[in-house]
Amino acid sequence: MLAPSVIVLFSLIIYPMGFALVNSFYFWNLQTSPSPVQFIGLSNYQMVFQITPFIDSLRNTLILSIGGTFIEFWFGMGIALLLNSQLRGMTIARTILIMPTTVAPIVVGFLFRYMFYEGSGLFSWLLTSLGFAVPERGLLGSSQTALASIAVADIWEWTPFFAIVLYAGLLSVPEEIVDAARVDGASRVQMFWRIILPLIKPTAVIIIMIRFMQLFNMFDLVFVLTRGGPGTASRTLSYNLYYEGLVNYNIGLAAAMTWLIVVIVTIIINVYILIAFKDWEW
Amino acid sequence: MRTSIQQKLLVYLALLPVLLFFIGPILWFLALALRPPETAFTVPPQFIFTPTLKAFEYTFLEPGNNRNQLLNSVIVSSGATLLSLPFSVSAAYALSRFQLRAKRFLMLWYISLLMAPPIVFLIPYFVVMARLGWVGTHASMIIVLQTITIPFSIWLLKSFFDEVPDELEEAALVDGANRLQALLRITLPLALPGIIVTSMFAFVFSWNNTVFPLVLSNQRTATLPLGTLSYFATTGVTWNYIAATAIVTMIPPMIIFLLLGRYIVRGLTFGAVKG
Repeated sequence: MLAPSVIVLFSLIIYPMGFALVNSFYFWNLQTSPSPVQFIGLSNYQMVFQITPFIDSLRNTLILSIGGTFIEFWFGMGIALLLNSQLRGMTIARTILIMPTTVAPIVVGFLFRYMFYEGSGLFSWLLTSLGFAVPERGLLGSSQTALASIAVADIWEWTPFFAIVLYAGLLSVPEEIVDAARVDGASRVQMFWRIILPLIKPTAVIIIMIRFMQLFNMFDLVFVLTRGGPGTASRTLSYNLYYEGLVNYNIGLAAAMTWLIVVIVTIIINVYILIAFKDWEW
Repeated sequence: MRTSIQQKLLVYLALLPVLLFFIGPILWFLALALRPPETAFTVPPQFIFTPTLKAFEYTFLEPGNNRNQLLNSVIVSSGATLLSLPFSVSAAYALSRFQLRAKRFLMLWYISLLMAPPIVFLIPYFVVMARLGWVGTHASMIIVLQTITIPFSIWLLKSFFDEVPDELEEAALVDGANRLQALLRITLPLALPGIIVTSMFAFVFSWNNTVFPLVLSNQRTATLPLGTLSYFATTGVTWNYIAATAIVTMIPPMIIFLLLGRYIVRGLTFGAVKG
């Protein structure tokens, strides 16, 4: 009963991987030739670092994934604690919070491109009115703020994900434990760090892992908001691969890059799996 | 715990700007879809305007604009969901019911696929589909989407199968039913709500996917999220049309998530967190 899914997925994965491996040793630009041109050994792997901003993309990707996950987690945790006050109207609050999560990332890109518009965008205008200096070429047009602006759009879409899941986690914390701690004279802060956080840790680790990887694969928002620009200021690994493979049609080079990314991603995923599923019941 | 009036007030005061931040951009884009074009980029932003449905009329009532993309989105998303079901239901059932040595490895393999960057698979598919002459077909998108829908559905469905008590099936086996009959008559009907929930999530993920159609579709088969892009790529950005298309793109996932209610936590975490 497992065989069909394994066979389908295996062929859907093994094929592109094999394709990429073979072609990573060939010079092949789809604009000039419909098939691989010439065997060039490891040159493509060298060129990934020489002619594409691979290291810059990796750096941007790491900044985005680490910073984004960190902010979304703590912002989401704050909201979850507010929801956990069990006051009236929290159902409505939860419903509102679900909205951003349902929006297609590419549409989120448009929402924020409009919000960030030079001068007239609501977000830019609010910043200016509050006395903040907005770059002359707009938040997306300046290399200082482009990556951060992408992060803001992602934070908008995915903080509610942390809030909703962590809120569910908070609800499942047993009342007795919290009461016992209070009787023992624990303060709110102590209670959070010593009791609540350890109890929801398994949930937290899993959603941090999911979100970190989604951020690591970031493409849609970059595509609509900045196209990796200005220059390469906001180029991510996924966008760099897309650009080399499907804008420049440099298939050989893109194939080499594919394998470099696969190796990086495999390492990260395995480290995470070791941590997140250590005590998992299968 | 008793909360004082001040504490209550404090919670509401903290929550209000937060909620405004999360709903604001959506409402502002809805306003963009409804406002006269000349009021879209004024400084300061114009909050009061006479709403008009012209952008929606242009994008969805006039033939040849976005109506077809709506249909394509329905075809591709339902196709991808339906195609994944036989594979994921059988695999999830097996992983839930039998003690297999490869279980842990397989489950981790499936979740790794969900974490992998989609772009990595895309370039080889594009080259092959181009050679086969399949670029621009619904089938090409539906097939490639299986890399997401199958592993996701297996994870989520397994969590639902795990909740159907083994004893019911065993009782049926004692009564002389064979394994297949027990599955079809007992477990499957009991797991049906879970299968529906899983399908709804798979549908939303396929609906919101842009990377695959971006490369594998053509003008005739483009899906709705790409519709927003078409107004963007051409000269003279027509933001009212982008907004109208985007609002319509948002509606189905929103309705589905509202219907899913208490299953949302579980779905968004692939069944790893019960919620």
